[in-house]
Amino acid sequence: MQAIRWETDFVSALGKAKVSGLPIFQDFWFDG
Amino acid sequence: MNTGPYSEPTVADFLNGQFVPVRTEVFWDNPTDPMRRFGIQWTPTFLVHDPEGAEHHRFVGYVPTDDLLAHLGLGRAKILYDTGRHGEAIPLFEAVLSRHPAAGAAPEAAFLRGVSGFKSTHDPKELRKTHDLLVARYPDSEWARRAEPYSAIPL
Repeated sequence: MQAIRWETDFVSALGKAKVSGLPIFQDFWFDG
Repeated sequence: MNTGPYSEPTVADFLNGQFVPVRTEVFWDNPTDPMRRFGIQWTPTFLVHDPEGAEHHRFVGYVPTDDLLAHLGLGRAKILYDTGRHGEAIPLFEAVLSRHPAAGAAPEAAFLRGVSGFKSTHDPKELRKTHDLLVARYPDSEWARRAEPYSAIPL
């Protein structure tokens, strides 16, 4: 099984989305 | 979520194949630019953006696997819906309904599928059929109540 290939920076994710045409799924999480 | 839905192969495959997934850590005592930009008030908060970064779907709070997959599918469909690509949106709404009929997002998918059906055909029966489907499958949902005006449309 492949792990989820998370980006950690929205701007970087946006760059990849623009190139690939894929939408972005963004998870705001708290490491509490 | 790390030991729940995100550990499921179906979720990992869907996120890796259909989205650019990004995790943004929240710091309540020192709000970051992304927190302010998207008005984050609680975690987890999930957003679906189009490739240009415009938000089309948001949900807040832990969701189990079936609900998460339904929200992901709904988010993809709403990008097409919000930009008037109703013919393309319909199969994505229908995929949510067929694959995740018990998910919390399913009634919204049913309602918006009906709107896309009407917008792409201009046939009001699409709205009446949506009302009937919502009343039959999701009678207690807010979306069934939103569809109530369509009950007067003749089939």
